[in-house]
Amino acid sequence: MTRGTEELTQHYSRQFNEELEAIRTRLLEMGGLVERQLKRSLRALVKGNSELGEQVVHDDYQVNRLEVSIDEECSRVIALRQPTASDLRFVMAVIKSITDLERIGDEAEKIGFLSSRLATQERPENRYKEIKHLGRQVREMLRDTLDALARLDAEAALRIAQEDSNVDDEYEAIMRQSITVMMEDPRSIRRVLDTLWAARALERIGDHAVNICEHVVYMAHGMDIRHVSVEQVAAEAGVDL
Amino acid sequence: MPGSAWSLVIVRLLAAVGIAVGAGIVFGHPQLWVILVLAGYLAWNLYHVYRLDRWLRFREGTRPRQAIGVWGQIYAEFHRIRQLNRDRKKRLNRLLKEFRKSTSALPDASVVLNAQNEITWRNDVAQRLLGISKKDRGQKIDALLRDADFIDYLRRQQFDRPLSLSSPVDGRVKLAIRIVPYGTGQQLLLAKDVTRERRLEKIRKDFIGNASHELRSPLTVVSGYLDSLETDPEIPESWKAPIHEMVVQSARMRSLIEDLLTLSRLEASSSATSNEPVDVRGLACLVRKDALAAGPRKGEIELKLESEAGIRGAESELYSAFWNLVQNAVKYSAPEGVIEIRWRDDDDGGHFSVRDTGVGIPEKALPRLTERFYRVHKGRDRARGGTGLGLAIVKHVLQRHDASLEVTSELGKGSEFTCHFPRSRLAE
Repeated sequence: MTRGTEELTQHYSRQFNEELEAIRTRLLEMGGLVERQLKRSLRALVKGNSELGEQVVHDDYQVNRLEVSIDEECSRVIALRQPTASDLRFVMAVIKSITDLERIGDEAEKIGFLSSRLATQERPENRYKEIKHLGRQVREMLRDTLDALARLDAEAALRIAQEDSNVDDEYEAIMRQSITVMMEDPRSIRRVLDTLWAARALERIGDHAVNICEHVVYMAHGMDIRHVSVEQVAAEAGVDL
Repeated sequence: MPGSAWSLVIVRLLAAVGIAVGAGIVFGHPQLWVILVLAGYLAWNLYHVYRLDRWLRFREGTRPRQAIGVWGQIYAEFHRIRQLNRDRKKRLNRLLKEFRKSTSALPDASVVLNAQNEITWRNDVAQRLLGISKKDRGQKIDALLRDADFIDYLRRQQFDRPLSLSSPVDGRVKLAIRIVPYGTGQQLLLAKDVTRERRLEKIRKDFIGNASHELRSPLTVVSGYLDSLETDPEIPESWKAPIHEMVVQSARMRSLIEDLLTLSRLEASSSATSNEPVDVRGLACLVRKDALAAGPRKGEIELKLESEAGIRGAESELYSAFWNLVQNAVKYSAPEGVIEIRWRDDDDGGHFSVRDTGVGIPEKALPRLTERFYRVHKGRDRARGGTGLGLAIVKHVLQRHDASLEVTSELGKGSEFTCHFPRSRLAE
């Protein structure tokens, strides 16, 4: 963690340094916004609150707007400052991370939309217990990811990337259960499909969080760990998992 | 003492030079003798400078060596200053340690921020409530507390009211966050766990809502029977008056319950239920018509609509706020008193005011007006048939529309209630 931030703070040009810091602040602000969107969309789903769901759909533009403006700022920094080494890595990783954050925002929007549709239908007996559980897991994962991003903590990022398999398992379980429910009661198919879509969106959010974690490792260590197993990376980076 | 030491130095130096000159006269080459003596003196001084330097740099704490004359004095002085500084440092350290211990023992999470909002210090509770660890020193606070409400709160720099936030560590834990600026740009962030208080508050609100709701149905039955009894011709004359009184009282009870329900509904969420443009001119006309329809009165209700602007908000809520204001004006002024409803806008925003020429409000009652069931004159107000909740409803509605209520009044001359809506709420 310290390595990355020190490189950021000990820069020869103070203004450049401030520009990078501003980008970092905006990036995390965007992260906070996405976190809130996810939190609200899940609440709308579980409580059957269609108004809140619509609110989430409506507020997605804020996330998109931030993405565009951060993207512009990054291009400007590249064009004017020609950053090198860790600064370049930082800017590149930010550009990639905002894409993932924006996608997470889209998935939250999708959940919001589905929840306002589901709110008009009969609620299942278990009151979305599994989705609630999966949602909590994904929310924690996103929170930890953004914390790792703030602290440039590669170790934590790798740990989170490993946790993603739990989310995948949970999604699998929900899918199997949904199939059983649909076979038992074909009238529920529409509702269960919508629920399944929401679960799918959560699973995708987990994947995007993992992508951001990879960008964090890249930022901190300059190591590209995409499409490489986590254990291998940990061994190379000398990190104990 | 220092003066005498220095004169001693000069006397000694002069004596040494004198002896050297004497020796030169006796043995020849007086210049050589003087040079030799001065060189010796210089060497002695250099030696002490060297020793002082060594002592200052390497032998901290040990007592300086004894030396004659002014050097001894310098050593002693240095030693004294050093001792003094060391004592002071010790005392400061102890103070600092105690301060840190006491802030660590605080039940609230506390984080010290510098002018750039970077964390410079935090106590252990901050880890538990805010997830800020020891390693986060130098980290920006808004990088870790990313909630949009918090970022807004931090940016606006208006900390007169605490911010409520869910803990980033555990969403079920509710926090009240306060920021106290101090020193040069430093800020102290305090986060208090208010989960229990919030839950109790919620239970209280739910209770009021549920109780009012449950009271409503039996009351409807009772007042239904009373209504038919009142018009029943077979009822003996002696029962007429008590039954009429019962009808009046049950109507009062019903309006009380309605107001309580309205209030608990308003309290359930902090912002207006809708954000549509509301036509204030139409609303003002409607309120005036309803007030005239409610009972015969000689005084005019004047409308002064000077603005075309509307308000973005919930129409039903705004209606009940304006209606309560006008109702109060009618209630507290003589039947022939003039009431004025005015809607205007300027650079600050929109202003909706209701002015009456009634009894007025004593100054000491003004701050408590919007409290529930607060009454200026206990007996008299109840006789006029108010529920005591009207202005509480007005306050809540205005809060939900980012507006504020201003009351000016003069005893015996009348009062003016003005709702100030911010520019951002106006719809052209």
